[in-house]
Amino acid sequence: MRILILGLDGAGKTTILYRLQVGEIVTTIPTIGFNVEQVEYKNLKFQVWDLGGQTSIRPYWRCYYANTDAIIYVVDSADRDRVGISKQELVSMLQEDELQGAVLAVLANKQDIAGCLTETEVYKALGLEALRNRTIQIFKTSASKGEGLDAAMDWLANQLQQKK
Amino acid sequence: MFSAQVIGALSVNPEKWFDKTIRNMTDSKYFTTTKKGEIFELKTELNSEKKEKKKEAVKKVIASMTVGKDVSALFPDVVNCMQTDNVELKKLVYLYLMNYAKSQPDLAIMAVNTFVKDCEDPNPLIRALAVRTMGCIRVEKITEYLCDPLRKCMKDEDPYVRKTAAVCVAKLHDMNPALVKDQGFVELLNDLLSDANPMVVANAVAALTEINEQKTVIEVNSQMVNKLLTALNECTEWGQVFILDALAGYTPRDDREAQNICERISPRLAHANAAVVLSTVKVLMKLIDIMPADSEFITQLTKKLAPPMVTLLSAEPEIQYVALRNINLIVQKRPDILKQEMKVFFVKYNDPIYVKMEKLDIMIRLAQQSNISQVLSELKEYATEVDVDFVRKSVRAIGRCAIKVEASSERCVQTLLELIQTKVNYVVQEAVVVIKDIFRKYPNRYESIISALCENLDTLDEPEARASMIWIIGEYAERIDNADELLESFVEGFHDENTQVQLQLLTAVVKLFLKRPGVAQALVQRVLSLATQDSDNPDLRDRGFIYWRLLSADPAAAKNVVLTEKPLISEETDLLEPSLLEQLVCHIGTLASVYHKPPSAFIDPAKAPLRQINPTTTNTNGANLLDTSSSSRNGTSSAPTVIPSQDQVIADLLSLDLNAPATTAAFGGNTMSGTTSSGGLDDLLGLGGDVSVPSVPVQSAHNPFDPLAGLGLGNPAAAQIPSQQQPAAIGGLAEIFGTNALSTNTLNYNYPKELLLDASKAMGMQVEGTFIRKSGRIYMELTITNKAMQAMSNFAVQFNKNSFGLVPAEQPNSLAPLLPNQSQNFTIACDTTGPVQSVFIYSFIQNKK
Repeated sequence: MRILILGLDGAGKTTILYRLQVGEIVTTIPTIGFNVEQVEYKNLKFQVWDLGGQTSIRPYWRCYYANTDAIIYVVDSADRDRVGISKQELVSMLQEDELQGAVLAVLANKQDIAGCLTETEVYKALGLEALRNRTIQIFKTSASKGEGLDAAMDWLANQLQQKK
Repeated sequence: MFSAQVIGALSVNPEKWFDKTIRNMTDSKYFTTTKKGEIFELKTELNSEKKEKKKEAVKKVIASMTVGKDVSALFPDVVNCMQTDNVELKKLVYLYLMNYAKSQPDLAIMAVNTFVKDCEDPNPLIRALAVRTMGCIRVEKITEYLCDPLRKCMKDEDPYVRKTAAVCVAKLHDMNPALVKDQGFVELLNDLLSDANPMVVANAVAALTEINEQKTVIEVNSQMVNKLLTALNECTEWGQVFILDALAGYTPRDDREAQNICERISPRLAHANAAVVLSTVKVLMKLIDIMPADSEFITQLTKKLAPPMVTLLSAEPEIQYVALRNINLIVQKRPDILKQEMKVFFVKYNDPIYVKMEKLDIMIRLAQQSNISQVLSELKEYATEVDVDFVRKSVRAIGRCAIKVEASSERCVQTLLELIQTKVNYVVQEAVVVIKDIFRKYPNRYESIISALCENLDTLDEPEARASMIWIIGEYAERIDNADELLESFVEGFHDENTQVQLQLLTAVVKLFLKRPGVAQALVQRVLSLATQDSDNPDLRDRGFIYWRLLSADPAAAKNVVLTEKPLISEETDLLEPSLLEQLVCHIGTLASVYHKPPSAFIDPAKAPLRQINPTTTNTNGANLLDTSSSSRNGTSSAPTVIPSQDQVIADLLSLDLNAPATTAAFGGNTMSGTTSSGGLDDLLGLGGDVSVPSVPVQSAHNPFDPLAGLGLGNPAAAQIPSQQQPAAIGGLAEIFGTNALSTNTLNYNYPKELLLDASKAMGMQVEGTFIRKSGRIYMELTITNKAMQAMSNFAVQFNKNSFGLVPAEQPNSLAPLLPNQSQNFTIACDTTGPVQSVFIYSFIQNKK
């Protein structure tokens, strides 16, 4: 199973990846490139790709779309200014042929920060209601505290098993 | 009819094509990646989840890469295989990256994170591998991301990682020097010099040396030297070479320190690696120079130097050759080191030809009274070998022995005569050439052999041999009864001869005429008319006219000129210029010592544009200058072979386009001919005296307004820049020279003299100079240093036509001849009344002999 973790820079993608893999917080630096790890969840093996979110790297996301089963799209809920950019990236990504069958889990991350957008606000800001024809779910998470990730992974695991 | 049909067909086809295109708008698919073929298969395999399959795929990719197939399209897929715990796979991916990162500079950024991670891998091999690969990826965009991991690796706990990181700094510097400086990598490298591990020290010093070559960032100091000496003995052989090369760049503070370094490195002379030995020799040669020459220590050290070099001569021929080229330098610098070792330079029958030739060279250099008989019998044997080039060189060597060791000259001449008797064509020709040199060295001693030479007149078909023979006939015309007939036979085919032969023939016939006017009256007329009327060669014509005029105006003067006493030729003729030798000794063990050229001559062609004139700056006067000097050389010195390579050295030092507005002035080229005529003509007529010294026309350019050379040197001068930019009535140029009041006040600063011409590039003449202004007039201040082995005299200065109209108003006529290693200062006044033409200032300094 191949999962991509995408999102703008600083959304918390790498932290989420290592939270999933080793269950701990690791200190991260901006990912110039990618990380790839094997993650086991409920007897399912995932190959999880965490791609750098900086503007200069986003064009190369497309190199990783082929054969992707699921996308975890991470949004920094506290970064109200850039939620629009995040939406644009999401929309253009979902238009790709290669991703038509992929399951999408949106994580409204950094819920631990005061004054952040709520789950619903993020849902609206990204225009997720417009996305029919796609298996999609939004979760509120805090990668630093480890909250909400299990729910998201449970849902993903179920969806992917069903697809099989 | 026919053409109409064609037009019809044409008008239909595009429509059809267009229709099709409209229907299949998806034709773009032909341009997207193919779903078939090798590349696609590899792509699928690379994305396989099975590790083994992935590895196999990467191996296939690397295989294609190495045979030259373009697999750069797979870049993202290969990079995706990079994060693996399989070292083998990782190495393969790195290999691919080094090759293709440059062709995919944008995508290469995807590899950065993996490098960063790998630099923190628990396995030191992976850390080192990562840092090494990083250094090899020359992509500007990603270098900045690599600084942090590199810094970490320089402080790594594992020495292998540290030494790899040290080398990486040098690579980074090559790409982005500013980054290395800003990130403090030089200091980190410096710290590594104190590393506990000698390999790290060696690599750090190698990196520092390489960086220093581009730009001096750090000077070797005594503290550093101590660290290096400590590391030296424990290093690998190549590490030792690096350390020794760095030591060669260090000048000790005093004798004691020099002695200490000598003592600590001299055990390296016994090393099995030739590079270590040569590098050690290099350092020792340099240190010997510093210490007092007569000390016991030096004597001991000199004794130590010979055996390792002799040992090198038992290695493979290629190493022998390199050793011999280096020994050639060492023998010139310090003949005493190898003076006892003549025998090892004797040629073995199975030596390759290039080794034989080099050995011959060194044999001649080492030849002296005590060993000459041994050398001669060797040379005689070589002269009967089969290899033509080797035989020729051997014959010449015999001649050179005769010139070098006077006591042996008799035997040498005898040997040459015996060789002539063999009647082997090329042997005879070479012998004639060297015998002419022997005549120059020992006049009136061996003329008895002339008859033997004349017997072989018909066999001479090479220009040099013919020219030599003709010179001999002309020189001894009064003793050769049939000299007129002999010369006449050459004159028959005058136009078919080579220029060298024609010039000699002309001179020889004139000599004959002056010595025996009766027999050569008709001949001289004929030759003069051949040279002046029927020849296209300006050298020949000019010389013909000069002789003609001399003969018709004042035969007595002609006699004085043409038959003047010639100075003796020097014995060591093919030595390198001392300054060049000095430079080459500092490069022992490198390519420079094999080529016998300074590194700048073959490494960066942009830095060494010697021996060619900028075509835009050659003017007719310049050409004349060169011509007269070359004809004078051939005219009065008939020993072209003995004289060291005497190509005209023209150094184009500086040509700077100032974009200065050229003030209008009449075009006239006469101003400069005056400056050359005195030197040039004298020389042509043979009044110049010492003919064995080649004249050196030197074209050098000097521009005091070069912002780098002139203004950049002294900040006070920067004050003049604004005045240059002011729109002034007189015109910007006059202003620069300070002819208006405004800038007079600021022009109290004199530019320091700068090196205009390096001795190694101009056969020993070094020129430094600057422009100064005294009481409203421009002067050029020059310092000329003679670094050649012969005296220089008759200097003339001329500038090329330039946009300032700058011309020398006087000549340094009073300048006394400059003896070797002397230097002289002089100042010449300049006017700005000369012709204005280009925007270059060139100055010619001519040293006439």
